[in-house]
Amino acid sequence: MTSKFHYDLIALVIFAIVIAFGVPALMNYDGFELNTFARYLALAIASMALALSWGTAGLLNLGQAATFGMGSYAMAMHLKLRASDGLPDFMGWNNVSELPLIWVPFESLAFTLLAGLLIPAFIGGLTAVFMFRARIAGVFVAIITLAFLVAFQLLVINQQGMTGGQNGLTGLAQLSLPGWTVDPYSTGFYYLVAGCLTVALAIGVYLTHSKFGLILRAIREDADRTRFFGYNVATYQTAIFCLSAALAGWAGMLYTMVLEFASPTYMGVSFSLAIVIWCAVGGRESVIAAALGAIIVNMLEGRLSDVFVEGWHLMLGVIFVLVVMFMPRGIYGVITETAKRLHHPKRRHRKTDLQSSSTKQLETGQES
Amino acid sequence: MDVISNQLFAGLSMASILLMIALGLAIIYGAMGVINLAHGEFVMLGAYTTWALQTYAGIGILLALPIVFIVVAAVGWIIEKVVVQNLYHRPLDTILATWGIGIILQQAVRLGIGAESRFVKGPELLSGNTQIGPLIMSNYRIFLIFFSVAVLYGTWLLMTRTEFGMKLRAIIQNRGISECYGIEAKRIYSLTFAYGAGLAGIAGALITPLFSTIPTMGTGLVVDAFLVVIVGGLGSLIGAASAAVLIGEATALFSIVINDTLGRIAVLAGIIVLIRFRPRGLFPTETRR
Repeated sequence: MTSKFHYDLIALVIFAIVIAFGVPALMNYDGFELNTFARYLALAIASMALALSWGTAGLLNLGQAATFGMGSYAMAMHLKLRASDGLPDFMGWNNVSELPLIWVPFESLAFTLLAGLLIPAFIGGLTAVFMFRARIAGVFVAIITLAFLVAFQLLVINQQGMTGGQNGLTGLAQLSLPGWTVDPYSTGFYYLVAGCLTVALAIGVYLTHSKFGLILRAIREDADRTRFFGYNVATYQTAIFCLSAALAGWAGMLYTMVLEFASPTYMGVSFSLAIVIWCAVGGRESVIAAALGAIIVNMLEGRLSDVFVEGWHLMLGVIFVLVVMFMPRGIYGVITETAKRLHHPKRRHRKTDLQSSSTKQLETGQES
Repeated sequence: MDVISNQLFAGLSMASILLMIALGLAIIYGAMGVINLAHGEFVMLGAYTTWALQTYAGIGILLALPIVFIVVAAVGWIIEKVVVQNLYHRPLDTILATWGIGIILQQAVRLGIGAESRFVKGPELLSGNTQIGPLIMSNYRIFLIFFSVAVLYGTWLLMTRTEFGMKLRAIIQNRGISECYGIEAKRIYSLTFAYGAGLAGIAGALITPLFSTIPTMGTGLVVDAFLVVIVGGLGSLIGAASAAVLIGEATALFSIVINDTLGRIAVLAGIIVLIRFRPRGLFPTETRR
């Protein structure tokens, strides 16, 4: 393992310590504040999941919100069944007299937890096999996943009797694990989400630095060359797509528990692109940076919307355009560049000279 | 039979709207490889400009068209100069940057004009219906169909019969060599982007009597228009036109068999399959990259 791996490990440990001890102390263990921050942490998982497929393998998945929504609905269905005896209330309003077959297994907690991970992974895997066997790449991946997202959201809204339609699933019970009823405003719940994020990040850091991650990066740089080396590119792409989808489903499950409802807006185009924004702001090459990006943007959103009730969305747009233009590698890029300069202060001149002559080539290589 | 012919007309009408929105996008994407997710917001700007002209200056939709074109094209030109021009070598990043621009435009309109729906009156001249047997067609929609064909023809003339079009096609084929011959690629790109934005503005102006004019109206349209462009094939005008008709008619016909939403889902699924097997679209253009 390289020295970069050590840096990432150190970053992960610092990150874990800060969210485990720093943040709750800063918030005075206030239930409401912790719930808000737990929401950011859940979104951070969705963002780091995208960093795995986009940053590492170069597959821009604009349909990340679809898998996020699947996880969130899986959890919501379980909690809805717990909250209602017999038939959930909205089904009665839609003249559904019997519990639909898909809903029945969600009575079981174990099935729900598995389904929240495996259904997104399976659907993600299906779309991945479908696309990557045909060697679809670049912009077309983005377009296909976007079209899938739109179709999926329409389907969920359309099946009102099954999914609650536009209203989503509301009036959910609190999750009862064996011996613990999870109150979303408790410190315990915050630690549950923080723990999940740390585990997800650990998986991400390990993967990006393993041989698997190396091959994925090779695919990002030049898929054909990797193919000529004898690697089955489609299999690797499918694997990372499945994993990213499963992590997004995980994030969705936590998100439903934080907000205590599930809504079809979780599967909207805007939400999906918001995930992309967080990832880009943080830095798509590092899972930790992507998670940090989600937390920073969402905190900013929270603070700005308090101060500028009307204009915060506008500012967010401006910030985002500026980040794309001037920090193409996000906050992570800025940090690594500065670190490099601090390490080799004398080489700075030569390096900038080199860059100005070959910027174009370098950057196209990075993006294609 | 009545239902089918009426649905066919509805599909054609939808296709004409899709075509006008997609045409600008097809030119921008085909010529520059820029995925302009702010295109829907250009449509929205066109709609609001029409509304403003009608409410404050009393100018009807048809007379407003040239003004709308110029206004939205100017906005597009500025955006190209300030943001998009710096991103030509990073095609995936243009998706993100233009989405950011879309957010900015949308919020600017929401703050400046308000989030409530605005009403624009259709032209008096084209009110009423034309009836052929059981087929009832709104005059305005008939006008839209003819107008979109005219816009398509105009764009084709611009691309093939003018010096600007020739320069643009040269740049699409080989930017480096074209620059050696003294074509200013940067200027042509700016103008192309402005023209594409202007077309979106016109589309926005024309759909105001049919859609409600709200700040978020563009977001849904841009996805549809994008699918038209991809299905049609990169930069192909004929491709965009036939894809618009195909998608419009398919949506209309599916919605007879199943309901509207499921019809749209079926069309989206069809498009996904089509892109998988023909990623370069129905009418791929032969270009050397």
